[in-house]
Amino acid sequence: MNRIGALLLWGGISGLGAAAFGVLALSRGESINAAWLLTAAVCTYAVGYRFYSRFLANSVFGLDDRRATPAERFNNGRDFVPTNRWVLYGHHFAAIAGAGPLVGPVLAAQFGFLPGTLWLVIGVVLGGAVQDFTILFCSLRRDGKSLGQMAKEEISRSAGITGMLAVLFIMIILLAVLALIVVNALKASPWGLFTIACTIPIALLMGWWMKRWRPGKVGEASAVGAVLLLGALVAGGWVAAQPQLAPLFTHTAAAITWMMVAYGFVASVLPVWMLLCPRDYLSTFLKVTTILVLALAILVILPPLKMPALTPFARLGEGPVFAGKLFPFAFITIACGAISGFHALVASGTTPKMIARESDARFIGYGGMLMESFVGVMAMIAACTLDPGVYFAMNTTPAGLAQASQVLAQAGFVVTPDVMHQLATQMGEQTLIARSGGAPSLAVGMAQIFASVTSALGGRTLTALWYHFAIMFEALFILTTIDTGTRVGRFMLQEIVGHVWPRFGETSWYPSVLASSALVVAGWGVFLYQGVVDPLGGINSLWPLFGISNQLLAAVALCVGTTILIKMGRQRFAWVTLTPLAWLVAVTMTAGWQKVFSPDPRLGFLAHAASLAASPNLDAARLIFNDRLNTFVALLFMTVVAVLIVTSLREWWLVLSRRKPALVHEASYVESAYATGD
Amino acid sequence: MWKVRMRRGTERETGDGKRETLLRRASRVARKILGAPDYQAYLEHCRAAGHGPALSEREYVAQFFEAKGKGVRCC
Repeated sequence: MNRIGALLLWGGISGLGAAAFGVLALSRGESINAAWLLTAAVCTYAVGYRFYSRFLANSVFGLDDRRATPAERFNNGRDFVPTNRWVLYGHHFAAIAGAGPLVGPVLAAQFGFLPGTLWLVIGVVLGGAVQDFTILFCSLRRDGKSLGQMAKEEISRSAGITGMLAVLFIMIILLAVLALIVVNALKASPWGLFTIACTIPIALLMGWWMKRWRPGKVGEASAVGAVLLLGALVAGGWVAAQPQLAPLFTHTAAAITWMMVAYGFVASVLPVWMLLCPRDYLSTFLKVTTILVLALAILVILPPLKMPALTPFARLGEGPVFAGKLFPFAFITIACGAISGFHALVASGTTPKMIARESDARFIGYGGMLMESFVGVMAMIAACTLDPGVYFAMNTTPAGLAQASQVLAQAGFVVTPDVMHQLATQMGEQTLIARSGGAPSLAVGMAQIFASVTSALGGRTLTALWYHFAIMFEALFILTTIDTGTRVGRFMLQEIVGHVWPRFGETSWYPSVLASSALVVAGWGVFLYQGVVDPLGGINSLWPLFGISNQLLAAVALCVGTTILIKMGRQRFAWVTLTPLAWLVAVTMTAGWQKVFSPDPRLGFLAHAASLAASPNLDAARLIFNDRLNTFVALLFMTVVAVLIVTSLREWWLVLSRRKPALVHEASYVESAYATGD
Repeated sequence: MWKVRMRRGTERETGDGKRETLLRRASRVARKILGAPDYQAYLEHCRAAGHGPALSEREYVAQFFEAKGKGVRCC
């Protein structure tokens, strides 16, 4: 009876999901409701979790609750702590989700809602969640070791060093692109800049509160910080309306770039409790609540999608938001949310040290990633509720818009300057044109969704307030990533240089701290500045580089996972990690190749440089330099990963042909004291 | 997969053996999700492990923040 019930239930869920996909795929022309997108996504997650992750847990990994986890064996009440799985789920999710899953889908909406959604939903079930779960499992069996350490032990020493360098470079590109998103959201926006500037004194106050005044009282400090933050948000609107005050907070993108660079340097040098930790608490708090509220609002409103399923740019590959065809660029643009290499760092960082028993890894590793994909789907919905004309006007520079004007006009994606001006006024901004980077369009989408909730509840629409709330929410956790990323980058650099010059490796030696922080900040500062002065908006060239690097990091993680599966004697299941690995290699290598060598100047860096060679423009020399730099970075990423894959292939062949013993560096088995035995 | 009925190693009791209050429990959960230091939990851990606390509250909090600064946040 029970069995029949389960059969009916899962049959029903599968059927419903399939029907929702059918509606999405077959819709042509007519506007479609977001409910179908949500249904398709949730049903796929449910089936993937129930069946595929169970197969991974039981057959592939052989999770065993009798085996004590690192949290149990090294329990120190601090970083190694057995934690309830629901609590850890929240903690893990807060660590993996950031701006990535919100921005990528918004940019990929230029192809229409269908390609991005399919990739988010299918990619996560077969790729992203598998990667997170695999790395979590591997680290769990290795005392919570990091990805780099595992690559070194399981593949080879050179693989470990290559992996570490890859992480450092990826971090630099990531920080640049995230900073660019903030700059594009805050330029010429006194309201936005005032609110974000206020977060610095608020964080300092919180830091003093929870370190000096009332040690450890994070809850109190965060509550006070959140109230002050909302105060700053409201005050921002007032400041923007004052003719004397507004100019103080109205700056060009270039000026904000310098502020960001200075901020990043200071934040990475100051003690963590002063700025970094309090900001982190504030952004975690805001992130979790806003995402929950957004989910609720979308469920209540069920907005219709104005963007078609597919736009002409999917086929033509001349999109103004970013260049390139659907394959491979849709899969590069959406990295976080479908598969994100960065998660491998979290899944081999704090989380494995807190898992109480092995079977929890399925819920936390696989389930946590499904939630991030869901965030990506919500971002896609928010972007697609915008009128396509507005969407393209916001995400493209005037130069890019002019290039694509014919296609846009044919597809009916046009908007008059009046409408854009009206929208900007409604959102409390001077202009919304050419605010590329995804954050502002997401904020407009979110503001409209939230505003229809508040007006339905009988209140005023508060659209401008919601818009700036959404901007603040994104900018806040992007700045958190910049703080922590610069700091982690600094530690890595110190460690790498420390191999050659031990004194430099001392994390408390001030000359080394200052020099390495300056180097890391300068690293991402160069790319950020290049993005800011780029006539096509910067996101155009930087976001694909970021996507490629993040996906390549995922490839590194999957190489480690495959190696471990093979060495565990589970080679018949190696397709579990090999499938996403093969896909990622195909996608990233194609994209990298096209970014470098495509003859289309809008797509290929070298072709773009060549097209500028004869230009009398004074900026041409700098733009050519940028193109060459981007070429170098793309080639570097591709080489690093090619090396790693060849090293892994060699190792697999040696083990499988029995030329080398299959030696896994797993921690030895200790019986869990939690098992009661029956 | 071996799944057995287990004692829940993640459930704590207050020192005097009473069950913790709902409020205390909620604050503990919120602290964990936020990644905030929890000195009480540390004290309970030391008691369960059978040794006195090695760190004062200030030292514990300082070390906790220091370790947190090394963690990775995702994009």
